[in-house]
Amino acid sequence: MSLKHDIAFTLNGVQRKVTVEVGMSALAMLRDVIGLTGTKYGCGEGECGACTIIVDGATLNSCLMFAVDCDGRRVTTIEGLTGDARADALRDAFVAHGAVQCGFCTPGLMVQASHLLAHHPEVDAAAVKRGIEGNLCRCTGYKKIVEAIVSASHVEQGAAR
Amino acid sequence: MKVADRPAAIAPDTLIGKRIPKMDAPEKASGKTRYIHDINLPGQLHAKILRSARVHARIVRIDTSAARRLPGVHVVLTAADLPDQRPIGVAKDHLPLKRDRVRSQRDEIAAVAADSEEIAEQALRLIKVDYEDLPVVSNALDAIKPDAVLIHPEPHGADGSHLHLKPGVPIAFAGKKDNIAMRFDYAHGDVVQGESQSDVVIEDTFKLHYVTHCCMGVSGVIADFDASGNLLMYSNTQVPFLHKREFAEYLNMDPARIRIVQPPIGGGFGSKLDIYPFEVICVFLARAARRPVKLVFSREEEFLASPTRQPVLLTLRSGCRRDGTLTFRQVHTLHDNGAYTSWGATTPFVMMQTFSSLYRVPHCEYHTTAVYTNNPYAGSFRGYGNLQATFAVEAHMDKLAEAIGMDPLEFRLKNAQVPGEVTGQGMSFKSCGFQDCLKTAAARSDYQRKRRECVAARDKSGPIKRGIGIASMLHVGGGAKIYPSDGCGTILKIDDFAHVTLITGASEIGQGSETVLSQLVCEELGLPISSVTVVNNDTDITPWDVGVHASRTTFIAGNSAIGAAKKAKAKILAAAAKKFECAEGDLTLRGGHIVRAASGEPLIDLARLMRSLHFSDKAELVMTTFYYEPPSQHQDKGFKGDVSAAYAWATQVVEVEVDTDTGIVKMTRVTGAHDVGRVLNRLGIEGQIEGGVVMGQGYALTENLMIEEGRMRNPSFRDYKLVTAPEIPEIDVSFIESMDGEGPQGAKGVGEAPAICIAAATANAIENATGVRIYELPFTPEKVYRALHGSAEKLYWKPWKPE
Amino acid sequence: MNPIEQYVAPTSLTQALECLRLSEVTVLAGGTDVMPQSQSGRLKFKPTLMNIQRVSELKGITRDGNAIRMGALATVTEIMHDALVQEFFPVLVEAGDHFASDQIRNAATLGGNINNASPAGDMLIPLLVLDADAELAAKPNGEMLVRRMPLANFFVGPGKTQRMPSELLTGVRLPLPPANHFARFFKFGARPALDISAISIGIAGARRDGVLTQVRVAFGAVAPTPVRASRTEAALEGRPLDRATIDAAAQAAYDEVKPIDDVRASAWYRRELIRNMTRRMLDHVAQA
Repeated sequence: MSLKHDIAFTLNGVQRKVTVEVGMSALAMLRDVIGLTGTKYGCGEGECGACTIIVDGATLNSCLMFAVDCDGRRVTTIEGLTGDARADALRDAFVAHGAVQCGFCTPGLMVQASHLLAHHPEVDAAAVKRGIEGNLCRCTGYKKIVEAIVSASHVEQGAAR
Repeated sequence: MKVADRPAAIAPDTLIGKRIPKMDAPEKASGKTRYIHDINLPGQLHAKILRSARVHARIVRIDTSAARRLPGVHVVLTAADLPDQRPIGVAKDHLPLKRDRVRSQRDEIAAVAADSEEIAEQALRLIKVDYEDLPVVSNALDAIKPDAVLIHPEPHGADGSHLHLKPGVPIAFAGKKDNIAMRFDYAHGDVVQGESQSDVVIEDTFKLHYVTHCCMGVSGVIADFDASGNLLMYSNTQVPFLHKREFAEYLNMDPARIRIVQPPIGGGFGSKLDIYPFEVICVFLARAARRPVKLVFSREEEFLASPTRQPVLLTLRSGCRRDGTLTFRQVHTLHDNGAYTSWGATTPFVMMQTFSSLYRVPHCEYHTTAVYTNNPYAGSFRGYGNLQATFAVEAHMDKLAEAIGMDPLEFRLKNAQVPGEVTGQGMSFKSCGFQDCLKTAAARSDYQRKRRECVAARDKSGPIKRGIGIASMLHVGGGAKIYPSDGCGTILKIDDFAHVTLITGASEIGQGSETVLSQLVCEELGLPISSVTVVNNDTDITPWDVGVHASRTTFIAGNSAIGAAKKAKAKILAAAAKKFECAEGDLTLRGGHIVRAASGEPLIDLARLMRSLHFSDKAELVMTTFYYEPPSQHQDKGFKGDVSAAYAWATQVVEVEVDTDTGIVKMTRVTGAHDVGRVLNRLGIEGQIEGGVVMGQGYALTENLMIEEGRMRNPSFRDYKLVTAPEIPEIDVSFIESMDGEGPQGAKGVGEAPAICIAAATANAIENATGVRIYELPFTPEKVYRALHGSAEKLYWKPWKPE
Repeated sequence: MNPIEQYVAPTSLTQALECLRLSEVTVLAGGTDVMPQSQSGRLKFKPTLMNIQRVSELKGITRDGNAIRMGALATVTEIMHDALVQEFFPVLVEAGDHFASDQIRNAATLGGNINNASPAGDMLIPLLVLDADAELAAKPNGEMLVRRMPLANFFVGPGKTQRMPSELLTGVRLPLPPANHFARFFKFGARPALDISAISIGIAGARRDGVLTQVRVAFGAVAPTPVRASRTEAALEGRPLDRATIDAAAQAAYDEVKPIDDVRASAWYRRELIRNMTRRMLDHVAQA
C-alpha cells in the first residue's frame, strides 16, 4: 500500500482538497485523481511539454513535479485558461492561424504561450521559438504556432492601449 | 425571412482556395477533446504487456503463478492460454503472444489485465521467464549469408529433420528455408541497352536509417464485449473497415458483430495501418476478463514496440548521354525486414515508381530483397519508401549533371515529364506540373546564382560554408489501387434547417479531412462551412472506405462527398424548378438560397424549401449516397499499370549553413513549389506542407533510431531528437495548380509529399557547400564532421539479389 | 510499490537538518531529476521523502561581503533574471539560456543540479570557472555545522558527491570577480537548448594588456565529472592571447581530455570538438 498524503491547493481558481500517493506525479493527479484530461502525457520525462501547467505563475512539466508539492500552491491547467480575454485571444489565434492539426500538443503549447505572453507582451518570432523550445509538435512544423502566438501578442497590445 | 429582408441578388462566391480554420480546432485548443488516453469506460481494467528480455531466444518456461495470485489481477495470458491464436500482419508471420521463441526486443510474451496500471506493472515483474539464448542476427548482410542463423526456421519432426509444411500454411507455423521475407523484381526497357547508350555511368551505394513516427499521442486501444458477445473497440486505426474484417478472423467471430469507434487521434503518419500484437492481445484480455480493457503505451514502449520507417541499403547505377538525356537506372536494394513483416516490406511498390518514373527514364530495373533479422520491424510511414528512393535518385541527378558539365537545373528540366506522358511503368500523367515546380522553386530561391556563388566561396576562409540543393519528388495523388477497391462511400442528409450531416468513411487523422470534405460539400450546396456536421468515426454508421493512406483522402473521399452533394443539389433544384415553374438549369444554390443562376435573384431560402418538401402531401427528405471508385488500375504481375487516378509533384530547394569545425548543419531556408492540382483549404494545405518539411528536416539531420545487436539504444525523446521550434528553417511555399481533371475541384493528394525530397535536397546542399557528398543518413554533426575531415569510408554494397 | 514510509515538508533549515539526522532521506526540490530517476529505477526512494521547497533559508541570491551567495533552491530561471548575477556573472545567464527548456528552468534548482553531479551539467561548468564553493550544513549533535569546499572537489563521480547523508547542500558562494574579468561558456549542440551536451566548455580569467591571468578552464561531458583542465590552464596562464598561445591551448585541451564513446558522441569526435571549440572561444575572447 503506497503512502498517501492530503494536500490543499488552488486549482484553476478553485480551492481543492485532494488525497494523493506520495510518489505520484502532478500529471497523474490531474488526470487520474481529479479527472482533468486536458493536460497530456507525452513522454513522462520532461522532454515534450505536453504536460505543461502553470504553478505559482511559472510553467513547468507536471510529469516531473510531485503531486504533494502542489500543497499550498496556485495551479492552472488548460481547463483554467478560459473566460479571460487574453486566453480567448490566444485560442482564437491558434484556430485562425491553423496552428492545430491533431491537437495533442496544443494544450501544453497554449499554456506555455499564455505564460510567455504574460511575461513578455512584446514578442517576435525568434523569441517565441525559444520560448516554446520545450514543446514538441509532430504535425505542424511549428510555423503556424509561432505566427499564432505573435499575432495574439499584437491583439493584447491593441487591447492594452 | 421576411420578403423585405431578402437581398436583391446574391453574388457568386467560393470557398475554394480560402483559408478555412479546422473545424475541431476550438475544442482541441480548449483541452476538451478526448483522445483515447482520456476515455475511461466504467468497470474497465488496465492492461500491460510483458516484452522479451532477450533479442533472440527460445522460450523455455513462463511462470505466471505469482502474477496470477497478486490481488487486483484479473487475467494473465500467455500463448499457452491461447492455443488457437492466428498469425497476424502482412505476411502472417507472427502470433500476438509469442509461443516457442522470441525474435526481437519487442516480442510480446505475456499480458496482464488488472484493476490499475500500477498493479498490472507489478504483476509483470512477478512473471518469471526462462530463456535459452540464440545467436543474434542484427545485420541484413549477415542474414543473407548461406550459413546464417534462421529467424523463422521450419519446425522439426520427431526425427529432428525439418518439416516442410504445405504451401498456404502461414509462415508463423511453417517457417522458411532461409531468411528471405520478400522479393520484388521490376523492369521496363532493357538496362543493358540503356547502359550501352550512355556517355556517363555512375554507381553508388546509399544507406537509409531507422527513424520512427513519434506521434505525440502514444498508442492505445480499448476493447469491450457486450452481454451478447459483440465487440466494441476504441481504436486509432487508420483502416477501420479492414481492421473489422481482420479482427473477425483472429477472433473467429462474425465481422458484423465487431464495431470500431475512432476517437480523435494524437498523430498517425502511417503508424496505424497494420494490426499490431497489442491490439489483438487487448481483445483477448477483454474476452477472458469479461470487462472492458484499456491498454496504453508508455513513451518508451511506444519507441520499442512501434513500427519504424523501412531502413534501406541500396546501390543505384545510372546513366545519361552527353546531351543530358537520362538513359537507364538499375537498382538493387536490401531491406532489413526485422523479425516480422509489416508494411515496410512493401515499400518497394512505391520505391520502384520513383526509380522508374521520377524524370523520364527509358530503361529501368529494380530489385529488392527483404530479409529477416532480429531487429525491429518497419511499417508504413509518411512517404512509404519514397524518401529513401528519392535520396538516391536526386543524388545521381546532381552527379550526372556535373559529369557532363550541365547546369543541374537545366539537366532536370530536360528530363522532367510534361502532361500527357505515360511512363515505362504505365503511370499516366494527365495533369503534371513538374516543369513548373522546378522553375518556380528555382526562381524563388535564386537557386542557380546561389549555387555558383557557394561553389566559389568554398575556398574562402571561415568555418561556416553555405550551400543550396534542389530535389523533386513524385508520389501518388489520387489514391493507390492496391486493395480490391480504392473507393469511399458517403451518406449525406440535409435537415429542415438546411443543416448538413456528412457521413463519410474517410477517417480524420489530424490532417484536416473533415474540414476539406465540408468545404467541398458547401461549395456544391452554396452553404457556409458552419452548416456541416461530419460523422466519420464509427464503423456501424459510416460507409466503407479503404483507409487513410497513399495521400488519398481529399481526392477520393472528396469526390465521394461531391457526388452525394451533387445528387442532393439535383433533387433540391428539381423541386424548386417545379415550385417556381422554371427549368432546373435556370437555378442554382448560393448563399443558403435557391437563386436564379443568371441574375442571382433569390427565390427561397434553402431551409424553407426543405421544410416545404418535408411537410407536404408527398413528404420527402433529402438523403443521398455515393460511392466513388477512382478510375485507376490494379498493377499487373510486373507491377505495371496506372495505379493512381492522379500523380503529384513537388520541388524543394534547401539552403544550409555547415559549420566545418563541428559538422553542425543548419537548415536555413526551404523553398518549395507543389503541384497540388488545386488548392482547396489554403490554411490546411500550408499546414500539411510545413509539417512535412520539418518531418523531412528531422529525417535528414536529427532523427536516428540507434539499433545495436537488436537493442534500441535511444528509446526516448532525450536521445531521439525531434526538431524543436528554434531549429526550423524559413519555409516558402508556392502552389502549382495543374487542375487535375478527375480530382475534386481539380485537387490532388498532398499528405505525404512535403516530407519526401527534403533529405535529398539537403544532401545536394551540403555537397554544394563543402564539395563533399554524404551517402548515408542522417547528417548528424559527427557524421558530417567525419565526412569533411576525411575520416569516413565510403560504403559500397555490391548489387545482389537471390538466385 | 514504492517504499516511502514518511513524507515531510519542513519550513526551516533546522527542521530539515533534524530530519536528515534522524532518518534515511531522499531529498526533493524541483523533482526534475528525482521524478524521472525514480520512475526508471535509477533512484530508489529512501523511507523518508523530504520536500525542501519551503525551507526559506535555501532561497534567494544575496551579496555577502566579497562574494555572492546563491541558495540551493534558486531555480535556473531565478538565476538568469537576478540583478546580481546579471551584473557580476553574466556567463551564468548564458549557461541558463542553454539549459533544457523554459519549463525545466522554472523548476530545476541549483542544488538539485549540483547534487545530481552529471558530467554534462550545464550550470556546473561556469560555476567551476567562477571558483564556486559548495556550502553544506548538518546538525550532528544538535548544533548546526557548516562546511565549504571548492565545487571541483565536491564532485566524486557521475551522480556522486562529497555530501554526507546527514548533510544538506545549502548553496554556493561565488567570489566577486577580479578586475578585467571575462568568462565564457560554450555548449555543443544543434539545438539552442534541450540537449544533453556532447561537450561543454567554460573559460574564465582576467585579461590585461592582452595577457591572461587567473585562468580557469572547465570541460563537461569528457570525464566522469565536470573537470578543471589544468594543462589547458597552464598553457594560457600569464601568456598573451595570440595565435600561438591559442593554438597551443587548444592542443593542450585535446591532449588532456579522456572522453568516452556513448550514444551521444564518440570519444574521437569529442576530442575534436574540445580542440576546435576551445580555439574558437579563445578567438572570441581575443577579439572582444
